[in-house]
Amino acid sequence: MKPQAPSPALYHIRGKDLPISRAALLELMREVLARGIPFRFRARGWSMTPFIRDGDVVRVAPLRISAPALGEVVAFIHPDAGEVIVHRVIGRRGASCLIQGDNAPSGADGFVPGENILGRVTRVEREGRVIWLGLGPERYLIALLSRSGLLLPLRLRLGLLWRALGKRSVR
Amino acid sequence: MADVRLDAVYIPSQDVVARVIEGELIIVPLVAGIGDLEDELYTLNEPGRVVWARLDGVTSLRAVAAALAEEYQAAPGEIEADVLGLMGELLTRRMVVEAAGA
Repeated sequence: MKPQAPSPALYHIRGKDLPISRAALLELMREVLARGIPFRFRARGWSMTPFIRDGDVVRVAPLRISAPALGEVVAFIHPDAGEVIVHRVIGRRGASCLIQGDNAPSGADGFVPGENILGRVTRVEREGRVIWLGLGPERYLIALLSRSGLLLPLRLRLGLLWRALGKRSVR
Repeated sequence: MADVRLDAVYIPSQDVVARVIEGELIIVPLVAGIGDLEDELYTLNEPGRVVWARLDGVTSLRAVAAALAEEYQAAPGEIEADVLGLMGELLTRRMVVEAAGA
């Protein structure tokens, strides 16, 4: 004899409280983007600091007909790890993109086939504020610096200089 | 509460994305044209998932309730009332719609 069934019920979850695996995130993102609809989620990790920080809310738009351009930030499936990652396009070769995190000391993710690229990041929010992502013409410079390995050291030096200036102004 | 009829046929709305992920049915409403994982999400318990899976645009709600009553060896009248309650909630939240021409 089967146990008495509970009544069918609908439960409401606050999205931000939902513990979700990377595989589940990928499934939902794919499904939404396949409908031509943007997808918004909370990013985890530091590989795109300072442009995207751990906990920032990222909006990914479907690619539609245009391939991602140099310097754009994209969500893609890492060819080896099979996980969703958000990094910057620093080179192109046919339909493939050379992709790298702005703060990834390990270097580029390699050439990622076009079919692995899910969408482009169009907006980043931090505590309700829209964050500058460097997607204007400056994206070419960011991509060039990232590709030549200069973005991370430059960022660290600028950060030290900024702190030093901040301390001097406090005195 | 929305008007729900047992002889009507319902289907999941185009304004939601529903996926079974790691054993749970996650329903993401597409609010203002965005699939927003930061916003409100929904899930159903096991009998709810059985109902959702049978919203195929062909099967009437009465048949869905009958199948559920058989599945759980429950009184059809009791199950019908529960299914009507659930469908009322789903319709109010625009997560299901009545199938056209059914």
